[in-house]
Amino acid sequence: MGNKPGGEWVVCGQWLRVVTAEHLVIYCTPTTIAKMFEEASEVFDNMFKSSFPLTFIVFIPAVLILVSPLPAEAAHEFTVYRMQQYDLQGQPYGTRNAILNTEARTVEAEVLSRRCVIMRLADFSYDKYQKALRQSAGAVVIILPKNMSAMPQDIVQQFMELEPEMLAMETIVPVYFAEEDDELLSIYTQTLTSSSSQGSLSAAEVLLHTATANGFQMVTSGAQSKAISDWAITSLEGRLTGVGGEDLPTIVVVAHYDTFGVAPWLSYGADSNGSGVSMLLELARLFSKLYTYKRTHAAYNLLFFVSGGGKFNYQGTKRWLEDNLDHTDSSLLQDNVAFVLCLDTLGNGDSLYLHVSKPPKEGTPQYSLLKELETVVASQHPEVKFSMVHKKINLADDMLAWEHERFGIRRLPAFTLSHLPSHRSAQRSSIMDVRSVSPSSRHGAGEPPAGPHVDVSKLSRNAKVVAEALARVIYNLTEKVQEEHLSAVVDWLTAQPRAAQLVDKDSSIVSTLEYHLGRYLKDVKRHYVKADKRDPEFVFYDQLKQTMNAYRVKPAIFDLLLALCIAAYLGMMYLAIQNFGLLYSVVRRITQPKAKVH
Amino acid sequence: MTLFHFGNCFALAYFPYFITYKCSGLSEYNAFWRCVQAGATYLFVQLCKMLFLATFFPTWEGGAGAYDFVGEFMKSTVDLADLLGLHLVMSRNAGKGEYKIMVAAMGWATAELVMSRFLPLWVGARGIEFDWKYIQMSFDSNISLVHYIAMAAVVWMFTRYDLPKTFRLPVTVLLALCVYKAFLI
Repeated sequence: MGNKPGGEWVVCGQWLRVVTAEHLVIYCTPTTIAKMFEEASEVFDNMFKSSFPLTFIVFIPAVLILVSPLPAEAAHEFTVYRMQQYDLQGQPYGTRNAILNTEARTVEAEVLSRRCVIMRLADFSYDKYQKALRQSAGAVVIILPKNMSAMPQDIVQQFMELEPEMLAMETIVPVYFAEEDDELLSIYTQTLTSSSSQGSLSAAEVLLHTATANGFQMVTSGAQSKAISDWAITSLEGRLTGVGGEDLPTIVVVAHYDTFGVAPWLSYGADSNGSGVSMLLELARLFSKLYTYKRTHAAYNLLFFVSGGGKFNYQGTKRWLEDNLDHTDSSLLQDNVAFVLCLDTLGNGDSLYLHVSKPPKEGTPQYSLLKELETVVASQHPEVKFSMVHKKINLADDMLAWEHERFGIRRLPAFTLSHLPSHRSAQRSSIMDVRSVSPSSRHGAGEPPAGPHVDVSKLSRNAKVVAEALARVIYNLTEKVQEEHLSAVVDWLTAQPRAAQLVDKDSSIVSTLEYHLGRYLKDVKRHYVKADKRDPEFVFYDQLKQTMNAYRVKPAIFDLLLALCIAAYLGMMYLAIQNFGLLYSVVRRITQPKAKVH
Repeated sequence: MTLFHFGNCFALAYFPYFITYKCSGLSEYNAFWRCVQAGATYLFVQLCKMLFLATFFPTWEGGAGAYDFVGEFMKSTVDLADLLGLHLVMSRNAGKGEYKIMVAAMGWATAELVMSRFLPLWVGARGIEFDWKYIQMSFDSNISLVHYIAMAAVVWMFTRYDLPKTFRLPVTVLLALCVYKAFLI
C-alpha cells in the first residue's frame, strides 16, 4: 500500500500484511475525523456516479419510510374517564378540553405548568387541585382506589362535597379519573420520587438525576371533545288500568333512572337513583299481580313513569308533561289525578321524608297517603322516623329541587319520598355512590362503610312501607315486597353508569327497563326529549371515556449524553482499529518465545 | 424514543462497520461490489436454511418445561450451512489472498445487520417509549461483526492445505463452537 496520487493521505492498518510478511514497514499516519467524512462523501459520490438506479433503490424508499406514521407501544395503557362537560340552560359546566399529551408530575413538584398532574384520592384536597390549576397545569389525573369502601370516611365525605365545586368551576384543563392498579401505582410512586426530590439534592445529583431519570408521557388516544348533536333522552311510561268506570282517578309513580357524578362513566348512582327505580319496578310488579285478579282489581289507574335526564333538571319529566298536557287531546294526566309520588334515593338510612311544595289539605287523596304512611311506619316499622318537609317552589333557582316540583308547576298534586332531608345533599350527585360493600371490608362490627351505598334490607323495608301505604289508599290488601327481586334489580342497575349523556335511546338499560315494565304493565310507551335547536336547555359533550397511554421516556439530555458516549466509543474503536498493528505485534512478541522453541 | 434515539442506535450499530470497511483497506481494492455479492449469498443461504428447517422439522409439541435436545441439536446443525456459505464466498469470490476473509466477513455481517436489526430499530427506537433493548441490539451487532470476522478467518484456516498439524484440532474445535453457539448458550 502506498500514497494515493496527489499525496492526500495514507491508509494505515496494515494488519493483514503483517500476517504474511513480517519485515514490511508499517505506515501509520493518523487520519482526522474530517477526512473520514470526506471519505464517506466520496463513497456516496462514487455510488451516485457509478450506478444511478441504486440511488433510487436506496433513497426513495428511505424517504418514504421516514414519513410513514409510527405505531406506538406504551409502558402502560389504561382507561381514563373524563370529568363532566355539559351546558345546562346556556350555562357551561365542567371541563372543556379532552386531549392531552404532556409529561407527568405530582403536586409536590415545583414546575407544574403544561404538565399532567397526577393525584391519588387519598392525598386529594381542594387546595392542591386549585394549586395545579393556578399554575396552568396541562391536565389533572386523579387516581381512584380499586376498593372505594376501604377509604376512611372523612376522605370520602370531603370528596363528595368537592365534586359540585369542581364542576362549578369552569376549567379549560382536562380532568381525568383512572382506577388504580399496580402498574399505575408504580408509575405514580416513580413520578412522586422524581418530582419531590427536585429541590432537595445537590447540584451534581440533580444533574445526574435529570439526565438519567425515567419520565412518563401521558397521551390520550381520542380526539377533542365536541357537542353531541341530536342526543335523545329516553323516558318510559306504562299503565295499569283500573276497573269500574270511565273517569277513574289516576295515581302516578315516578322515578328518574339516570345518574350524576363528577365523571359520567363513573356515575353508578346506586342510591340515587338506582334505589328509586328498583322500588318503582317492584311496585309495578306487585300491583300488576294484584290487578290480574278481579277480586283485587281496584278502581284507580296506575301510571308508572321512568324518566331520563332527571339530574339535568328533570328534562324527561318536563317534556312528558308538556306533551301530555299541551299537545294531546286526552290523557290520563289531564283528567282526575289523585297524586304523583316521586321516588328519589330510598336505599339507605333510617328516616323517611315526604317533601311537598304545598301541605296537603284534609280530605284529599294526598292527605290520605300522608296519613297512611305515618300509620304504617308507626305500627310496622317503629325504627323509622317519618316526617313531612315543606319547601315552596322557587322559580328563581337554576335547578329545581325535587322531581315533584315539575308536577307542581303544572298544578298536579305531587310529593317526593326520600331518606335525605335536603335536596342539596352531596350524596345525590357523587361517583362515590356505588352498589355496596362486602362485609369483610368493614372496619368493625356495626361501623358503617364510607360513602353512600345501597343497603338492600333498608331498601326493601322502605319499599314495604310505600307498597303498604299505597295499597291502603287503594284498598285494604297488602302484597309482600320481595327482597331478592329488589336486590337483583339494584344489582343490575348499579352495574353500569347511567349518566344522562351515556344512555341513548338504543341503550340496553332503556330496553331492559322497557321489557321489565312491559311484563307487568300495559301500554308501555317511550317518550323522548331532545334539546330545542335554537335555545337548548341542555347540551351534552362527548369524549367522556378515553384510553390514556403512559409512555416511559427519558429526558432529552439523556439522548445527548448517549450520543456523546457512542461518539467516544466509536472514536476509541476507530483508534483501536487504526493501531491494530501495534496490538498484534505486542501479542506476537509475547508468544514469540513459544514459537521459537517450536 | 425519538428520531434522535434512533440515530444514536443507528450510529452505534453501523459506524463500526463503516470504520472497519474504511480502515482495513477494502475500499482501496474497490471491494464494495464483492461485499454486496457476499451479502447476496448470505440471503440465499438463509433462505435455503429456512426452507430446510420448515420442511423437515415439525413444530415441537412437547411440554413447556422439557427442552428437546435432539431437535434443537439438529436445528443447530443446519447452521453448518452458514460455514459452507462463507467458504463458498471466499473460494469463488475474489480477492487477492487474505483480503478474501475481510470481504466475505464484511459482506456477510452487513447483510445480517440490515436484515435482522434494521427493522426492529426503525419500528421500536423511533417510538415514544424508551427501552434499553435497542442499545443492546446495536451493541450486539458490533459483537456479531467481530464474531463473523473470526468465523471467516477460522473457515479459511480450515481449508488451507499448508496448515501445521498441531493447529488442526483447535481450529476444528473453534469451528464447532461457532456452529453450535446458539445451542450451547
